[in-house]
Amino acid sequence: MAVINNILQTNLNGLILKNPIMTASGTYGYADEYDDFINVENLGAIVTKAISLKPREGNKHTRIAETEAGMINSIGLENVGIEKFLKEKLPVLKEKNIDFIMNIAGSTQEEYTELAKICNENKIKAIELNVSCPNVKTGCIEFGVDEKALYNLVSEVRKNYKGYLIVKLTPNVTSIENIGIAAEKAGANAISAINTIKGMSIKLNYINGRFNKAVVQGGYSGIGIKPAALSAVSKLSKVVSIPIIGIGGIEKLNDILEFFAAGAQAIQIGTANFTHPDIAEKLIFELEEYILQNGFKDLNELKRELRI
Amino acid sequence: MIKDQIKKIYKAKIINTEKVSTNSYYIEIDCNKEIEAKAGQFVSIYCEGLTFRRPFSIFTNNKGKIGILYKERGKGTKYIKSLKKGESIDISGPLGNSFSIKNCKSLLIGAGIGTAPISFLKSKLENENIENIFIAGFLNKNEIPKLINPNIIYTDDGSFGKKGNVLSDTEEIIKKYKPEIIYGCGPEIVLKKISELGERYNIETQISLEKLMACSIGVCRGCVIDIKHGTKTVNASVCKDGPVFWGNEVIWQ
Repeated sequence: MAVINNILQTNLNGLILKNPIMTASGTYGYADEYDDFINVENLGAIVTKAISLKPREGNKHTRIAETEAGMINSIGLENVGIEKFLKEKLPVLKEKNIDFIMNIAGSTQEEYTELAKICNENKIKAIELNVSCPNVKTGCIEFGVDEKALYNLVSEVRKNYKGYLIVKLTPNVTSIENIGIAAEKAGANAISAINTIKGMSIKLNYINGRFNKAVVQGGYSGIGIKPAALSAVSKLSKVVSIPIIGIGGIEKLNDILEFFAAGAQAIQIGTANFTHPDIAEKLIFELEEYILQNGFKDLNELKRELRI
Repeated sequence: MIKDQIKKIYKAKIINTEKVSTNSYYIEIDCNKEIEAKAGQFVSIYCEGLTFRRPFSIFTNNKGKIGILYKERGKGTKYIKSLKKGESIDISGPLGNSFSIKNCKSLLIGAGIGTAPISFLKSKLENENIENIFIAGFLNKNEIPKLINPNIIYTDDGSFGKKGNVLSDTEEIIKKYKPEIIYGCGPEIVLKKISELGERYNIETQISLEKLMACSIGVCRGCVIDIKHGTKTVNASVCKDGPVFWGNEVIWQ
């Protein structure tokens, strides 16, 4: 297996990653679960499951469905809460030398502010603001679809948090460019795009004279959303100057190259982690090999050549 | 690189496939690595073109070899059925918790393809000389997989063994045999009844649940169920906290 050297090093305007491959929030837990499959410390970073001020139980049953090209989830941000995260999960990440970005989610601006303060006090190097979960009735998506509300929220978080601030955008808007511009103006260091697309799965089964109906309404992710994600990244890259982290349906090397072409500086792998729990690490090795085999000096040169 | 020893994902080789009833199949996989699976644990298999890996209870485990029994149900099992001896398969495991074996007189109940992990459990109990009876139920004679080893078989239509469902005589068996623990796997309705019987006769029950899974390792929280935890209700994932639960802790829907 190839040795990871610094040809993959990625500088996101201040946040330096060993490589541009991260794992998306909600698909990697708090990383310890993946120890059985890969050497997690090889990843550019893992983005934690969204963490809220208080623990959340999440939504009631039938939370997932498989679709023709991905999945629908309606988990509802089930998580351990920030107190338990800091006490139990953070020491494990640190001990194992895993680079991580903490994803945080609130229901009100006050909650986000409080979370930002706690992250600041605990010297969390980078956070990703979840302003775009489609599965929580009150709160975070409201911010993600309204540029003024988002501007105020990000400004408030910025005041209280000195580290690296990423804002994760929802595609469920008319103009993702305007939302991206608002995030940049309010002081975000980077944008990640996209979160899940609103989607629904209906599975019908006619048994003994009646229909059995399995319905899940929630966020659509997986290979099927890649075109929407590429479009969002490309549009954002034309209007903001902060780095963009591309997310949406990535499951092979070529997908990553396409995101670089669209203007992403780094990427996150989401749903594919479920299908192939070792995919993220594999893609790091594949990307490195691709650069070496094709005679590029480093990742930066490859990105320049790819850019459309 | 020491960590590679414990990596739980393998490109493995299919060493045997066999049709074992009208609609169920046996497949044996050589993981090329020592594996020590406990009864109740499962493996997940990648099925080409599908987002979710498919979970299967472990039926046999002999050093690096894992055997599973499956019923053809949908796209995933159709894909696995298409694979031939000698071909490669992407498998990960063993995953999940397991039956916690007690050294006491045991009643084992399996319904349908749920007989697979119960058969595995029976072989483990017998290795430890633990007294047990295994009762199994199927719709009809054609659905009985030929590799399982129950003591009593029920069929709904009476085409083989005793006529009736797997729980038809359970109360009498409990009264006569006086088991100190009951283990079960099968459709949820059967498991619910097993846990009710356990409560009625004051016998511990352990049941193995099945639920649609996305990650199968406890990350996505897609397969959670309600569990009693003291006076509180908490979420437990079937894939990591389970698939085996104490019958009296499950809150049935």
